Amino acid sequence: MFIKMNPVIIISSLLLVLTYDHNVVAAKSSSSTSTTMHTNNWAVLVCTSRFWFNYRHMANTLSLYRTVKRLGIPDERIILMLADDMACNARNKYPAQVFNNENHRLNLYGDNVEVDYRGYEVTVENFMRVLTGRHEDAVPRSKRLLSDEGSHILLYMTGHGGDEFLKFQDSEELQSHDLADAVKQMKEKHRFKELLIMVDTCQAATLFNQLQSPGVLAIGSSMKGENSYSHHLDSDVGVSVVDRFTYYTLAFFERLNMYGNASLSSLFNSYNPNLLMSTAYYRTDLYQRNLEEVPVTNFFGSVMETIHTQSAYKAFSNKDFSRDIRSMPSEQPTDFQKRRELLADSGLETLSYSTDQICPIHQLCSTLEKKLDSIIDVETFVNRGLLIMLPLIAVTTWLSL
Amino acid sequence: MNPSMAKPNWILSLLILCCFIFPSVLFATIEEESQKEEFNEELLLKPLPDRKVLAHFHFDSKANFFSYNGGFHLHLFPKAIYQLVHKFHVKEMELSFTQGRWNYERWGGFDPISSSNAKPPGVELWAVFDAPPSQVDALWKNLTHTLSGLFCSSINFLESSTTYSAPDWGFRAYSGSLRYGTLPREAVCTENLTPWLKLLPCRDKAGLAELMDRPSIYRGFYHSQRLHLVSSGFGSNSVDSEIELEQTLTVVLQPSTQRWATSYSTGSAMQPSWSLRTIFGREINKKCILAKSSNVYLQLDRGLVSEMKKKGFRPDFATSDISITNPAFELSPSPEKMIREVDNLNDVESSILYVFVIEKYVDAKPFDLVLTWKLPVAWSCSQAPLLANRFLMGSGNERGAIVISLKSINHHQSLVGTGAYGEKCNLHINVFQVVPWYVKVYYHTLRIYINGQVQPAANVTRKMRVSPSEDKVSPGALELALAFPCSMKSAELSLDFDKGFLHIDEYPPDANQGFDIPSALISFPDFHSSISFAEDSSLSPILSRLKKRSPALAYTEVLLVPLTTPDFSMPYNVITITCTVFALYFGSLLNVLRRRVDEEERRLEERAKRKSGKLRQQLQKLFARVRGRPLEQHPNPSAPSSSKTNSKLIMKVGLMVLIAVVWQYYLR
Repeated sequence: MFIKMNPVIIISSLLLVLTYDHNVVAAKSSSSTSTTMHTNNWAVLVCTSRFWFNYRHMANTLSLYRTVKRLGIPDERIILMLADDMACNARNKYPAQVFNNENHRLNLYGDNVEVDYRGYEVTVENFMRVLTGRHEDAVPRSKRLLSDEGSHILLYMTGHGGDEFLKFQDSEELQSHDLADAVKQMKEKHRFKELLIMVDTCQAATLFNQLQSPGVLAIGSSMKGENSYSHHLDSDVGVSVVDRFTYYTLAFFERLNMYGNASLSSLFNSYNPNLLMSTAYYRTDLYQRNLEEVPVTNFFGSVMETIHTQSAYKAFSNKDFSRDIRSMPSEQPTDFQKRRELLADSGLETLSYSTDQICPIHQLCSTLEKKLDSIIDVETFVNRGLLIMLPLIAVTTWLSL
Repeated sequence: MNPSMAKPNWILSLLILCCFIFPSVLFATIEEESQKEEFNEELLLKPLPDRKVLAHFHFDSKANFFSYNGGFHLHLFPKAIYQLVHKFHVKEMELSFTQGRWNYERWGGFDPISSSNAKPPGVELWAVFDAPPSQVDALWKNLTHTLSGLFCSSINFLESSTTYSAPDWGFRAYSGSLRYGTLPREAVCTENLTPWLKLLPCRDKAGLAELMDRPSIYRGFYHSQRLHLVSSGFGSNSVDSEIELEQTLTVVLQPSTQRWATSYSTGSAMQPSWSLRTIFGREINKKCILAKSSNVYLQLDRGLVSEMKKKGFRPDFATSDISITNPAFELSPSPEKMIREVDNLNDVESSILYVFVIEKYVDAKPFDLVLTWKLPVAWSCSQAPLLANRFLMGSGNERGAIVISLKSINHHQSLVGTGAYGEKCNLHINVFQVVPWYVKVYYHTLRIYINGQVQPAANVTRKMRVSPSEDKVSPGALELALAFPCSMKSAELSLDFDKGFLHIDEYPPDANQGFDIPSALISFPDFHSSISFAEDSSLSPILSRLKKRSPALAYTEVLLVPLTTPDFSMPYNVITITCTVFALYFGSLLNVLRRRVDEEERRLEERAKRKSGKLRQQLQKLFARVRGRPLEQHPNPSAPSSSKTNSKLIMKVGLMVLIAVVWQYYLR
């Protein structure tokens, strides 16, 4: 029994050595994805269209940027991608200003805008890199989506699209498969707890066809075969300034403040197909929670976990929580920090365990090497090896059949 | 409570007690610490000859780090910059974001502001590293990424070796560790200014930066935001290190001229009157209390002063206690003092500086400087000896030529004459030009024309360094030191080039707009611009900056080269068309090869002959008529002609295609 167990342990320890970091996290959070607390919010806002006549797409994105900032997501947790410079465009009559309404009451560009990716940097490649977190080493933190398994992410995209694709910069396409792959990878890397994808483009619903990761909610501005239209034209700026879907989304959010309690279903129900001139589409089958219980601030607002402590770094013995704990057994460690700590501890344990197990492998290798050295007639050895290979191949082919 | 927790509490209470007992001691240490850091803010305003106003903000932070590895706290100096210098071993660095082009002819080309603050459009970055040459490229790449994160721009495009170059002597004196790169098309907007302002201790909440209303700044004709830093003592393990950070924002604005429109129409060029409120839309409400000095200067150009003297408005400048009004103009808050330029070169008129110390005004009401002109004045700014322009020649998508044209300004003769070069007077200039690899310059085609006559290049070239471009690896760089005869009126340098082809992935999304060749830099090593004032300039960073002798520089225009752009949808079109053609061809070929049409028909006919009655024949006739085939063909199918089978075949193929089309478009 014991002898039989040994190779299993060796293999598993090998695996642990190779991917111990991932494994630990996976083992830990595969059980806890549903129970991890929502600890932070991120927003990725993307305008994919270049050229002046696509002013409205930038205005859409900046309106959302303003909204999520107003509702509490800080600038360092917003990745804003703008494919062109509209504010200081030579054609803009109002330099350093972008409006989303004819009345020009609100300058979306403001005094404090942080654009993380702009111009030529807004490519499908960079977009995928941001989502999956696979950057070059030198890329600064402000350009990375540093979310974790407790993150709620809002992904907003606007531009020109079609059946299962979204155009970037009028030269590349993001396909629904790409998006689904990226989301899947994010899920596997524990980069989000819940993800809301909101897309304002023609045939937006088709972009969600391939999604299959749990915890993803999607809203599109139009069904397959439908166009998304702009809302109105500003004759001073000279172009349309906002799209219908975004306009009515903003109309919904303007009524809310940071402490608003409107649910996602009320947002979904606020879209009127007659006003939108398209049918808004929601994909909810991947999302487990009841939409009527989920406030919109879950994605558009921000939570900041505050832990009251008696003294610095000694909190875990006598902590008290300021936030309510939902659907969580009381004996489970509810504090995220604590879970992190536990996680780190278990990681260390497995590490030491695996290093213990490395020694037999080394021994095995060294004995093998010794035996190899002792063999003099190499040719017969090779021939025998080949002969042994044959039944192996036969067996495997038979198995695969 | 356990003892381990009680202990720190006890220490804390003791500390608090200490604070109460020895406040003077504590304050003294804080003061000593803050002396290491210094921040000054200044604004220089200057009326320009073409009815515009130059506003030059100058923020200067200095920090001394006595023991930087022992841990310290930064009070005023931006930590981000300190980390940047420390991590990337930056000895000197300059980053500028510019929109618009400095008009050398009208706004002056031979004064300290134009030579250090006139920058090429887009982003320009150069840095000198205190590191061994092998590491410099890696440091540069990391630096560009960091800066792009810090300033919300795509500076990280400079990391690719095709965009930056390592000039030897043409740009600055450093060789080996200097890297230089420009992005001519980089947009400059609010998102770049905001992080720049966040480096200031008061941000834009107080002090001079309060004036920076984004819409009015970006409405300007020229806008250049610059960050220059010099560090010392970081590379070696010396204890004492220092960083000097200079942030400048240079804007050329047009005061609104509606009120003075009448005088404008009469033809007399009355200068527009302006105030800080009319040009910026804001006033200075409070002083930045962290700044050591916070001053506003109003500079009157040499030309302007001499013009005014000519008209006889001399006396008011002579006395030190200045009256607020004089016959030419009126200044609304009376300045603190007036400083006159100490001109030791010759008897050219000296310029005048009015100093306003902000803290004296702000207490009562917001500071607003109002300048009202009473009489029309016209003057011109001092010019560099040559006016540089650059343009493209040739047409088509194959080849062309870059031409740099240098025109002499008339009055430079006197300047050179004083230089006492003896009989053979020479005018030295340096040209530094970087060309992207897809513009393939043939350096051997360098032709130099002087007064329209071709000159052998050897006659005028003193020194030349060429680093030819390598496809997709590095840009071409040309450094050229020339010596022109002083009598020269104009000179042209021309270089031929071929346009290269890019890979389809390398084209930007708006490739049809064309590709930029960065500005060339023309410098005049013998001409140093500096204005030294009678005042002790060590007190004010901007005055010491103006006093510093720097060679006159001029950047030329950015050139736009149209390259051949492929039809980007072509691969898709080609694939679909060839697929259709192939499908049709092979489909019909297969049909022809497999079917034996004659035999089938013959058999059918025979069967028909055997079985058919009258009705059937009638039906066949009708069918044939409907199909539009002559009836005569029916009776003798036994002798089929090749043409007949051919037409039948074609018809069949056509029918198939028709069915396919119908199926494709309607049934699907």
